[in-house]
Amino acid sequence: MTGILNCIKDPEGPEIIVCCGSGGVGKTTISAAIGLYGALSGKKTMVLTIDPARRLADSLGLKRLDIDAQRVPVENLHIMEESRAPAAELFAMMLDSKSTFDQLVTRYASPEFRENIFENRYYQHLSNNMAGSYEYMAMEKLYELFSQNQYDLIVLDTPPSRRALDFLDAPQRMLNILGHNFFIKLFRPYLNTGKWGFRLLNIVASPILRGISKVLGHQVLEDFAGFMQLWDDIMFEGFSRRATEVKELMAGNKTLFLAVSTPQRLPREEAKFLYDKLLQNNMPFGGFIVNRVNSAGTCKEIHEVDLNTAFSEFHMKTDMKNKLIATHNSHLEMKKSDKQAVQGLIGKIGSGNKVLQIPYAAGEIVNLDDLYRLTRYFDRVSYI
Amino acid sequence: MAVENSDDGNNKGVLTVGQNGLSVPRESIGTWLDSLLSRRLVFVMGKGGVGKTTISIALACVAERMKKKVLLVELGDTNSIARLYQVQALSEVPRKLSQHIWGARVDPKAELEAYVRAHVTPKFLARKIIHSRLFDYLFEAAPGLKEVMSLGRLWRWEKEYQPLSGSTFGSTFSPTFDLIIVDAPATGHAMSLLRLPDLLIPMIQVGPLANQIRGLQRLLKNPQKTSLVLVSLPEELPVNEAVEFYSMAENMLNMPVAATFINCVYPAVFSQADLLQIESIERYDRDFSFSPVSKFIASARILNRRRSDQQKHIEEIHAKANGHVQEIPFCFTNDLTINQIQELSSFTHHH
Repeated sequence: MTGILNCIKDPEGPEIIVCCGSGGVGKTTISAAIGLYGALSGKKTMVLTIDPARRLADSLGLKRLDIDAQRVPVENLHIMEESRAPAAELFAMMLDSKSTFDQLVTRYASPEFRENIFENRYYQHLSNNMAGSYEYMAMEKLYELFSQNQYDLIVLDTPPSRRALDFLDAPQRMLNILGHNFFIKLFRPYLNTGKWGFRLLNIVASPILRGISKVLGHQVLEDFAGFMQLWDDIMFEGFSRRATEVKELMAGNKTLFLAVSTPQRLPREEAKFLYDKLLQNNMPFGGFIVNRVNSAGTCKEIHEVDLNTAFSEFHMKTDMKNKLIATHNSHLEMKKSDKQAVQGLIGKIGSGNKVLQIPYAAGEIVNLDDLYRLTRYFDRVSYI
Repeated sequence: MAVENSDDGNNKGVLTVGQNGLSVPRESIGTWLDSLLSRRLVFVMGKGGVGKTTISIALACVAERMKKKVLLVELGDTNSIARLYQVQALSEVPRKLSQHIWGARVDPKAELEAYVRAHVTPKFLARKIIHSRLFDYLFEAAPGLKEVMSLGRLWRWEKEYQPLSGSTFGSTFSPTFDLIIVDAPATGHAMSLLRLPDLLIPMIQVGPLANQIRGLQRLLKNPQKTSLVLVSLPEELPVNEAVEFYSMAENMLNMPVAATFINCVYPAVFSQADLLQIESIERYDRDFSFSPVSKFIASARILNRRRSDQQKHIEEIHAKANGHVQEIPFCFTNDLTINQIQELSSFTHHH
């Protein structure tokens, strides 16, 4: 049996790996480690991250992460064998939703409209805060990098949403809003040309618009119509074509989705949910990565120890003995609970070879060597 | 190694005025908690995965013990409260979860629909609007509309009063809920939610929506009524975010952070002397690793290490937090139950 990440070593293996999972599971670190793993297997690899955290930049040996690609100084890796050093190529790049959105507008909008679009309040909202814009833009950037064909492997670290699924749902939501031009058609009959050639919304002409404006205020509709006018037919077409291509790439055989989790309930439920959703949408599921597992790797039986014989040879105060016993029991509880959690995930997909466990690391990941330590678990499989 | 809690020495048994206007003797609790739970609206904030739902429920349990009627509100669709209580997904209609705790989930779309129905006549036009695609569009794309609707729901729950039970005359009313605890979405989203009234007031100046936003703003910015609570973990990223959060709450939101909960703190079991003794046991003889005691020592080492990894993060929060800092002990399980959360909420007795 081979581990779920073994396919990375295959020259015909996946070219895109998407790490999904709910917030706080260590997605960013895992993504970086997968990137390193790819680079060390001889693939020119890009890690696309959303996490501006110092720590990640530090662990990669970079001063800071940037929206431009930066080479990770893999030669600083102490553990690596000499022979491999020159071959490993690893790059990192930070995602920025706003600037990716702006690039899109620059690509599709006619120059005279560009500035107007950038200044429009709705556009600013859309590109900055709207639920889903971040997720959509992550996919957009991924598509762009993929099309440029400069990397053998791209690892995408998805945004820290509370729900793992947001990442899959968001692009469709986005497309629903910007990908069809019937909205402008809807408005068109009610638009009048104003004195300087601007078109104004004739709210009186439509009972629905009148009703909505009564609730939301006239202003809201005017602003919105203004945006929709700027976001003209060309934008709609460009955007929706692009979105369709992105969707196809995501569902294609070059992509692999990994569900990152910890043994905790919430991330675990999310990972399972994600698995179902991927299956439902015919998207390629790569496996579960369970991070921070107590006593990961082996699932040895936990032995009961006879306390009296165990402590007989040591002179210890009862208090100390009790502390040791209580601590050990807590630790066993945790191991047991983690084991159940992992088994739940294995049960979900019916086999352990798509479940990768990463043990609870002692200490934090501070440099490339620490990341390398993580990759050493990548070839393992979980036994039921 | 234990970290001292900040000074709130005055927590002897207090006599407080309950919601019914009667003096009720109450268990001994910290004054910070006392004043926090006397607010009308508490937002439980924090990064994803830090345990916002756990702390929200724990706070509700404390308030319940104080005989307060609590509404636990879920924003978004994680269903985590319902999952913990092992009930069906919550809805807009508050459902009783325990003696004094109700649970509800805000559905912004349903809220907007109700809003249109309330403000548009004739009825058939309201229906037509709700079913129009334009309405769907506006709902998805209009900045802040969803959020304003969610907040609007909280605002209306806060204003809801009902006749006092046992009162023969309809003249005595008490709030339907004494306390509304909101299990907020992850920090970034929650921040834009709370900033919204500030941003929308200049944009929307007339009409019923404008009134709602102004009412909301008055509620959110009244420190007597609304408080923020932050949940964090003793790890690097959550602590960095916590520090950022304090400054944003103060400078951008202008809302007080009443308390910070450091969740999942490993117990500091072993003293310096204990650790020395452990070392001497390890040196006892070379074949120590075969001794059954080695397992106990190994566990002690591992958990002690985790605690000391947490230490500097715990200290940083204590140093930088506004308001009270409460440590919540780590529970050695992945699947916390409601009973365990109730036990956790006994942090009120600790002082």
